[in-house]
Amino acid sequence: MSHFFAMGGYAAYVWPAYAVFFIVLLADFVSPLLRRRRNLRELRARLARQTARQHRSATPAVNS
Amino acid sequence: MSKWIPLWLHKLGSPPIFYRFAGTLRPWFLGLALVAGAVALYGGLALAPADYQQGDAYRIIFIHVPSAWMGLFIYGVMAVASFVALVWRIKLAEAVAMESAPIGAAFTFITLVTGSLWGKPMWGTWWTWDARLTSELVLLFLYLGVIGLYHAFEDRRQGARAAAFLAIIGIINVPIVHFSVNWWNTLHQGSTVRILGPSKISASMLWPLLTMMVATKLYYVASLFGRVRADLLELESGKDWVRRIATENSVPGEQA
Amino acid sequence: MNQASLPRACAEVLRRDLTLAWRRRGDIAMPVLYALIVATLFPFALGPEDALLQRIAGGVVLVTVLLAMLLALDAMFRSDIEDGSLEQLVLAPQPLALMLAMKILAHWLTTALPLIVVAPLLAGMLHLPLAVMGVLLLALLMATPMLSLLGAVLVALTAGTRRSGMLLALMLLPLCVPVVIFAAGAVAAAQQGLPWVAPIAWLGAALALALVLAPLACAAALRIALDA
Repeated sequence: MSHFFAMGGYAAYVWPAYAVFFIVLLADFVSPLLRRRRNLRELRARLARQTARQHRSATPAVNS
Repeated sequence: MSKWIPLWLHKLGSPPIFYRFAGTLRPWFLGLALVAGAVALYGGLALAPADYQQGDAYRIIFIHVPSAWMGLFIYGVMAVASFVALVWRIKLAEAVAMESAPIGAAFTFITLVTGSLWGKPMWGTWWTWDARLTSELVLLFLYLGVIGLYHAFEDRRQGARAAAFLAIIGIINVPIVHFSVNWWNTLHQGSTVRILGPSKISASMLWPLLTMMVATKLYYVASLFGRVRADLLELESGKDWVRRIATENSVPGEQA
Repeated sequence: MNQASLPRACAEVLRRDLTLAWRRRGDIAMPVLYALIVATLFPFALGPEDALLQRIAGGVVLVTVLLAMLLALDAMFRSDIEDGSLEQLVLAPQPLALMLAMKILAHWLTTALPLIVVAPLLAGMLHLPLAVMGVLLLALLMATPMLSLLGAVLVALTAGTRRSGMLLALMLLPLCVPVVIFAAGAVAAAQQGLPWVAPIAWLGAALALALVLAPLACAAALRIALDA
């Protein structure tokens, strides 16, 4: 097993190359998921504000 | 026969339908990409024998070459989607073109980094002004230009159209750059190192390479779907279908 | 306003731009001054060795001229966008591509031509052999219109954005790589006593293509960026 990880003496080049490959692609894959979650959260907050405002403006109209 | 195809395509072009379509297909593409990638890695790192000239350092090829292919392939997809976006003004095509750019840039960046990690033990230098390396660097700049222009506009769709135009100019430019850089290399008698060389690549090395190529293609589709979904939610944030998704997905603990 | 004849409209656009540039003469001097400063810094950085400076002179002059043009590129349509005259041009009955070609010509006359005039001075400061000077000027005469034309398309694309200086450089780099390669290649070949006609001919071919296509692309880009 250690023979495998030594990569014939080229471990210092082979493994960083693979690490870059996976880290960059992982970052590429995760960033839109985070963006989507953030956007949905903002949208929900906006919707909640909107309904609250409608509620407030609706109540006096009923009273008068 | 010819009647249902456009209708089917039209339906797929509408954001809510594509959102659902991409959402169901994305896990499959991602799963297949992971499986193919794992098989390719096993074949490339464990099964394939060491190269008689380069030892084990050549194993970088299994990510370097597929990434280089993807860098060019994604640019082609981006240019085609840009053309569609400019001619027919389809919102989905704009999203596909603009969300392809970061993925392509990521693959091009990987190509450059793995190439220099490979070049250090083989050529004794991190960077050489070789024709292919230089073209790859120019390709990265093309991607960065498209991404930069897209984000420079306040209006997203206007930015997408301007960046799409730049992408089309860029794809005309790619062969010109390649030709001129080749000419420049012969003029200056630059290093004539070749990685693959004229020798044929053996089958035990070829199949992991091709499998990895398939895996990166599948990954691209999965990543693109995820990005386009996020993009569509942003572009259509005022529409009813997005509101419905927002309220459906509300997590109980998040209401604070 | 009556429909002015096409040649007259072209002449008017050119005259207007040149008049505006003449009223702000200081701006014309800026790129020249910049090129002079950059070219002066090279000997300080690399040492005053004749042989070394001679070898790099052609390339340094070309890159310096390119950077100086890039500096001025940002302002190509800036004031016209701010005062709205560019939108008038878009709405005008005359073909937009032709009008823009005139604006690009005016820009080339006011920024590139002064740079070409001082280029022999810069090259002389770096000890470029006199025999190569002709090739350098020819290469500059071919390369600078290319840069103006390509730059104009990109400037038109960034017309709708607020800050575009660094972005413009990023976008222009991939496009100007072939231009720099062939222009510098011609100078280098002439310096080594090799035939230099081929790269100049390539540049000429590219210039002929750009002269026709770039104004059209510029017009299309402007319509996109202004959302017309």
